[in-house]
Amino acid sequence: MKTGKLVTRMLIGLLVIIMIAGCTAQPTAAPAEPAAKVQKYGLFMSHMTNAFTIEMSDAVKAKAAELGVELTVYDGGQDAAKQVSQVETAVTQGITGIVIEPVSVDGIVPAIEAATKAGIPVVVVNQKISKPEAASAFVGVSNVDGGVMEMKTAAEAIGGKGNVAFLLGPMGSDAQLGRTEGYYNVLKDYPDIKVVFEQTANWKTDEALKLVENWLQTGTEINAIVANNDGMALGALKAVEDAKLLDKIKIYGLDATPDALAAVKDGRMAATVSQSTTAQGATAMETVVKLVKGEKVDPEILVSFTLITIENVGEYLK
Amino acid sequence: MNKTLRKSFEFSSLREVGIFIAFFVILAILMILSPNAFAKPANLVNILKQASINGILATGMMFVIISGGIDLSVGSIVALTGVIAATFAHPGEYPLIVPIVLSVVIGAAVGLLNGVSVAYGNIPPFIVTLGTMTIVRGVALIAAKGQPVFNVTKLFEGIAGGFVFNTIPHLVVYFVVITLVCAFIITRTVFGRRVYAVGGNETAARVSGINVDWIKIAVYTLSGFLAGIAGLLLASRLVSGNPTAGQAYELDAIAAVIIGGVSMAGGAGKWYGTVIGALLIAVIGNGLDILNVSSHFQLIIKGSIIIIAVLLDMKGKGKQ
Repeated sequence: MKTGKLVTRMLIGLLVIIMIAGCTAQPTAAPAEPAAKVQKYGLFMSHMTNAFTIEMSDAVKAKAAELGVELTVYDGGQDAAKQVSQVETAVTQGITGIVIEPVSVDGIVPAIEAATKAGIPVVVVNQKISKPEAASAFVGVSNVDGGVMEMKTAAEAIGGKGNVAFLLGPMGSDAQLGRTEGYYNVLKDYPDIKVVFEQTANWKTDEALKLVENWLQTGTEINAIVANNDGMALGALKAVEDAKLLDKIKIYGLDATPDALAAVKDGRMAATVSQSTTAQGATAMETVVKLVKGEKVDPEILVSFTLITIENVGEYLK
Repeated sequence: MNKTLRKSFEFSSLREVGIFIAFFVILAILMILSPNAFAKPANLVNILKQASINGILATGMMFVIISGGIDLSVGSIVALTGVIAATFAHPGEYPLIVPIVLSVVIGAAVGLLNGVSVAYGNIPPFIVTLGTMTIVRGVALIAAKGQPVFNVTKLFEGIAGGFVFNTIPHLVVYFVVITLVCAFIITRTVFGRRVYAVGGNETAARVSGINVDWIKIAVYTLSGFLAGIAGLLLASRLVSGNPTAGQAYELDAIAAVIIGGVSMAGGAGKWYGTVIGALLIAVIGNGLDILNVSSHFQLIIKGSIIIIAVLLDMKGKGKQ
């Protein structure tokens, strides 16, 4: 009995060691002789659990391959502390350049400062950090512009007057604040448009579905539902279709995810806005390599949004 | 037999009366505040529909908690089985039976793994299911490549999206049928009584000849199986499988069970309490959405109700 327990414990211990070894040994490139310094780049993603982050990391990886540099991708798992320690570890191990899509726009600042102090260029992508000068460059889009593009399209489509409802991302997140600010900037020009509902569904399709089902129960007239992202827009779409109100309520999203593009193609969603994720990722990778080579770059590089409707959706469907 | 039947419907503590009173008071308040929207029959059907998936999860959770355990993995199982179901529901690929069977079998398999680890590994259920919760979420993300799986058949959408007699959503029918079957199992079968016995006093149950390990394995498998059904239904309802869906669903299910009067220590609780618990959570969410109350305030209200329910429980026990 006792030896049995001991054996089990040893086996578990062995298993843990193997797992840890398996995790750390991912970049299998053999260490070259120390004289010829290998250029190792790191991409630090906030998480890898949705269409956006996957597209972003794929774009960075593709660009790295094209430029012939070695790239390791770190998944922050939506944990700000984890991402900080990932960056710190990479810096002590002598990384050449960093591309980071931050979990926390405040929490990551000290780690980025430590990296740049150590002479390692840091390019922040998509989410601007609270102290932009800490990083070498920012590549992204202005969320406000995306919100403006989405809301303007919706406002024009409903003839500049009527009721709209907003589905918001997690309150206080950079994208939620910026996109929603964009909505209200547009509404200044449309005094006849009234916001009848405004609530967060935390980027989630299931939460948005329930929320819109409940809104529709009130009988309040809604002419358009404008969502901070496509996942929530698709939840709204299902609720509206179930209530057989699709001819009365137009639905707008942002992100251009594959399922939203399919809905735009079928004419069920009115429009979505692409934040040109692939272009952001590719530009970020290019920028960090330029910085390592000692070239000068703009501290802020903005990639423009693209409006996607039934007319041009074909170009974006893969 | 007749005696146990009657006994199972008696209100045995202040708490169980309390939950019914609380439910109808909250219902009445919302009806007064919103007579034109909340109190409409169409909205009451809507509430039942929104309670269904949590209600199905809560029913499985109830068995686990009565047996003295806890199952944190159900939310992740919902995500995984939803993703698998949607993956096998693309038009022109597999017959409808494939996604249905796969999701319930995978759900039950994860539950079986939980049960075996708890029963034979002697690992605390909180830790086992915390582990599988994390693992299964990872598997769901890998299976879906981190993105929603969409483009499913109309037939698949109809599983949860259809209506009986054009009025009652299919979801509600599943909820009612599953609840009644589980109510029968927990109140009228030897197995049901043994679940209470194991949760009440495990040593006594073992001494009296109950195969405690088998009971534990069975309740976790049942919980996983029902989570598989819930995952299938959610995927059908969302017309897609979302690897990030179902987050914190385990907490809503546990909340429904606790509000419904099931003791976290195991061995006590009634099935109809769990039903009321699930309905109460849906009623509050729906009513507050209709009144346009910020979702942040909704969290405070939901949390307060859970604590009040447990307070009532302690008071009720003190008086016995």
